[in-house]
Formats: sequence, C-alpha cells, structure tokens
Amino acid sequence: MSSLFDLSLIDSTLRMMAPLLLAGLGGAICARVGIFNVGLDGLMLMGAFIGVAANAFTNNIWLSILIAVVGTLIFSLLFGYMVIHLQANMIVTGIAINFLSIGATTFALRTIFDVQGAYYNNEMVGLPTWRIPVIDDIPLLGNLLSGQSPVVYLGILITIAMYIFLKKSVLGSHFDAVGINPVAAKSQGIKIKKIQYQAVIISGILCALGGVQLSLGQVTMFSENMTGGRGFIALVATMLGQSNPIGVFLSSSLFGFTEAISIRFQGLNIPTNFTLMLPYVITILAMFIFKDRTQLNAMKNSQGSSR
Amino acid sequence: MSKMKGHISNIIQPVFAIFVGLAVGTIAILLAGESVFLTYREMWEGAFGSLYFLSNTLERSIPIILAGLGVAFAFRAGFFNLGAEGQLVMGAVTTAIVTVYLPFQGFLNLVISIGAGMLIAGLLSFFAGWMEQKFQINLLISTLLLNYIAVLFAGYLVSEPFRDTTSSGGVAHSVMVEDASKLPKLLTGMNVHYGFVLAIIITILLAFIIKRTTFGYEVRMLGQNMFFAQYGGINRKKVMFISMLISGMLAGLAGSVEVMGMHYRFIEGALTTPQFAWTGLMAALLANSNPVGTAIIAIFLAALDTGALGVERNTDVPNAISDIIQAVLILFISAKFTMAFIKSKRKRGAK
Repeated sequence: MSSLFDLSLIDSTLRMMAPLLLAGLGGAICARVGIFNVGLDGLMLMGAFIGVAANAFTNNIWLSILIAVVGTLIFSLLFGYMVIHLQANMIVTGIAINFLSIGATTFALRTIFDVQGAYYNNEMVGLPTWRIPVIDDIPLLGNLLSGQSPVVYLGILITIAMYIFLKKSVLGSHFDAVGINPVAAKSQGIKIKKIQYQAVIISGILCALGGVQLSLGQVTMFSENMTGGRGFIALVATMLGQSNPIGVFLSSSLFGFTEAISIRFQGLNIPTNFTLMLPYVITILAMFIFKDRTQLNAMKNSQGSSR
Repeated sequence: MSKMKGHISNIIQPVFAIFVGLAVGTIAILLAGESVFLTYREMWEGAFGSLYFLSNTLERSIPIILAGLGVAFAFRAGFFNLGAEGQLVMGAVTTAIVTVYLPFQGFLNLVISIGAGMLIAGLLSFFAGWMEQKFQINLLISTLLLNYIAVLFAGYLVSEPFRDTTSSGGVAHSVMVEDASKLPKLLTGMNVHYGFVLAIIITILLAFIIKRTTFGYEVRMLGQNMFFAQYGGINRKKVMFISMLISGMLAGLAGSVEVMGMHYRFIEGALTTPQFAWTGLMAALLANSNPVGTAIIAIFLAALDTGALGVERNTDVPNAISDIIQAVLILFISAKFTMAFIKSKRKRGAK
C-alpha cells in the first residue's frame, strides 16, 4: 500500500491536473456568460499542436507558447462567431470544432512534418521546471510543490485571479449578469456580445495553455488526437465545480488524482478501466447532490437555439 | 406554393454547405501540394468507383444510418441524446458475448443476440431519461458521461472476463462468432451485408411512425412545443421514456449488426475510432431529424470517409481531409438552423 500512496503521488496529480484545470476554467468562464463550450477538447488539441509546430521551427519555448496562444485564440473566435453572431447550436458547433481540430491537426501533421501518428525531434525545447525559492527549502513539501512546469503554477494563479475577478470586480459581475439574465443585463447597458466574445477568447487562451502543458510539459511531442477526450473531462470538471474557479480547481485535482492513481493501479490486479471510469461515476453521483444553475442556464440556451 | 418554396430552400442550403465544404477541401489539397482534380477523382473512385468500393461505402453507412436514426428519433421528441456512442458500444459488446454463449447457432441465435444488444443499449438510454425525469439530471450531461462509462466497461469485458485468449497479443477482442450465426453478406466477396437492408427498412418504418401514427404525432408535438403538448394531454413522461428507449435500441442495433455482419467479434476501439455514433449524430442534425434525410446524409458522410481512404491510398493527401470537410459542412449547416430559427421567430413576432 505504501508504494501506492506515497508523496510523489501529489507531484503527478499536480502534473495531470494542470491541463484539466486550465481547460476547465475556460469552460467555467464560458458557462458564466451562458455559453456551453463543448469545443474545449478541440481548442486544447489545437493549442497542443501549434505549440509543438512552433517549437519545431523556432526552438524557443516561450515563443512557441505565445504562438500557440494566439493561434488557438483565432480558432476559438470561429466558435465564438458561430455561436454568438450566427446563434448556431452550441453543441453542434462545439462537436464540429472538435472534428475540425482533429482533422486539421492530423492533416497538418502529415503535410508539414510528413509523419503519421506522432512527431518529435530532439531539438525541440520542452517546458522547464521551476524551483520556487522559499517553498523549495521546506524539507518534505519542497520536493513536491516545487519543480513543476511554469504552466502548472500559472494554472493555480489563474484560478485565484479568476475567482477574485468574478467575485470582486465590476466587469466580473457583468459576466455573471449576462449568464443569469441577458435581457436584464442588456437593459443595464451591458454589451452582451462583447462580454461573450471576451469569455470565448479567455477560454481559447486557457485551452491553449492546457494543450501546451500536454504536448510540451510532460513529454515533448505531438501525437494524433493526443488530448484523448481530456477536454470532455475538463467540461465535466466545470460542471462538477459549478463553474466556480475554486470548484473547478477541486474537481480537476480530483480527476488529476484519479488519473495519477490509475497509472499506479496498472501494477496491481485492479483493472484500469474501472479507475478511469471514476471521474464520470463521481460526476453523475455529484449531480444528484449539486444542481449547477449557471451550467443549466447555459445548457438551456444551447437547447433553445437548436429548435 | 410556399410549401414548394420551403422545399427548395431546404435543398439549397445543404447544397451550399457541401459546396463550401468541398472548397475548404480544395484549399487543404492545394496545401498538401496535390492536384485538386486528381484528388477529388480518387475520392469519387474510393467511394463509388467500383462495385467493391460502393459496397464498402454502403457497409460503412449502416451503423451511421442506424445511430443517426436513433438520435433523430429522440430529437424529434425534443430530447438531445448525446449517448449514441456508449449505447452503440454496449449493444455491440452484449451481442458479441451473447452469441458465443447461446447453446445453439443459426438464425435464432442471430435474432436473440442482436435483440439482447438492443435491449441493453435501450436500457442504458432509458436510464438517462429516467434520471432526468426523476432527479432533474440534465440529459445532455448524463448521456455524455454514460458514453465514457459504457466504452470503458465494454473494454473491460473483452480485456478481462470475455477476452479471446486463443489468439495472442494485439488489441483485446471477444471470441469469434460461429459461421452459422453470422449476418450474411448481400453479395459474395463484398463487404455490404443484410444490415443495410435492415437499416433501409427501419428508415422507412420510422418515417411512417413519425408521420402517420398517433404516437408519432405525440412525439412531434412534444418536440415542437412541450407546454402546448402537455396542455393537449400528451404524457411527457411516457413519450420521453419510449422515445429514449427506441433511440438507444437503434444505436445498439448499429453496434450489433456491425459485430454480426462485419467484424464477427467485438474488438476494443473498432467502433469508437471511426466515430460512427458522432457521424450519425451529425447526419441526424444535418437532416433536421428527418429519417429519410438522415439515411441519405449518412450514406453521403460514409462516402466521404471511404473516399478519403481511397485518396490516402493513391495520393499524398491524408485521409484527415474527410474530417475537415465534414466539420466545415456541419458548421455551415448549423448556421442554417439558425437562419430558420430567426425567421420563424420573426414570423411569430409579426403575428
């Protein structure tokens, strides 16, 4: 048992949860303004690919993160334009964005790099690990919390920032107003479309960072469809976390933990399929207890526009 | 006259979307540095070029049609069933296991094993409907989540208790179906099997049920206006349960016939990797949940897939091109949805 639950489990949980946390926060900000973003997976995949592609050409990690963020942001605007401007069905558009992302990245992988399956080269530079000065000196904790990739720390910082933004700032309250009652918000002079675009753009940026952590953090490579449905787990984390940044943080750390522990279970006789099932089962059970108003509102919008 | 006009605009918009999809495909082909004409010809050849390729296309369309019909039926009643993938996989794995363990072979085995697959898949979908009815758990989320649970559970079944241990290594799969119980091929040497006939019959049957029966009327009413339907005395609970059950059973049938007519066993990932369920969902949405339209578009989407495989065989263009074209198609058609929606809203406002 001691080999199963040692302290390095915290370390791998942090690494596994970072992409889920970032994409989940992206989903949360969209849900706040009444947009149900099913395209998180596609946005993440796009970020992961552009990050690797830019890295292969520039060999500069910071520049490739920047290019990934900008590229994914533009891609997310396509989702935004369809959903906000053309009022297209959110679910259909989200699924189409996922398909487009899988198609476009696979296509580009084969035409640009002329490989099938996966691409990596030795000159690419992965995300560095940062040692945090003060924490690093704490005997036991230092080894665990320090020495993660900057994106992991950024994820935690963004969680706090988004929480303060939504709770304390005027603009944050406008975000909520748009999600809760767009008509009332409009009568108060809030520009609904502008706010919704802002939310979609933020989710694009966050998903790009999550994707970069996947393709340049743990490994330095891109493989076809490498998100493997993590965007949907992130969406589930959003729902379970009630679109609240702290809630998303807690639920994505739970999912990160189950992902980390399921790798350990491979050594035991417990089938990994069951541990992989945990996030979904927990979420269904949690839905019996919590009822997420924001998400339901966003969902109602998405269904309304489909008929 | 106005009905006529409606029909024409119904056709023009999908045609326009197909045009835009092919235009984006053209850009992709140019980026890949191939001849556009040659590539599209290979795509046509790969999908319809010979009897063999045509039979491949029709075979691929079978699960897409059936899953699409399932989604379409629930959607007609106003319920968004995102769980077709899980239902399809559960149907397939149940059929693959039942057929092996039945003490007899032959036609009866085929019928019972497919029936069992449909039943389990239908119950899975029913369960999601029950949770929404009883506990207000959103159908979209629950059906989506059940997908993962079902796919992982089916994967467990064939990798642990029901794994075919006679062949070593490779992907986990179940024991082979006996020859006598297989769903026969339509033509010898070709891939297309009797599942296609079944799919066409069910398409016509569903179109009839929706258009001509009392239950079909209730389904349509509920889908169009829930409050009006309930005011008119339609039992939402009953219609929802039945339509979710049928929807799941159709998705399950899609998986079952694929097992009995094509793979002859359940292979982990063989039904999820080609995205049959999601393509079916698209077909249903593109056709506005019209059964006949769903079937036609399903065949078209299947042709894009098999055509893209031909393209990959003979040119430097990767088969991902079909994903790109399909995605662009959906984006444009979903914008169409909206135009119709805005128009109807305006009309309502004018009255």
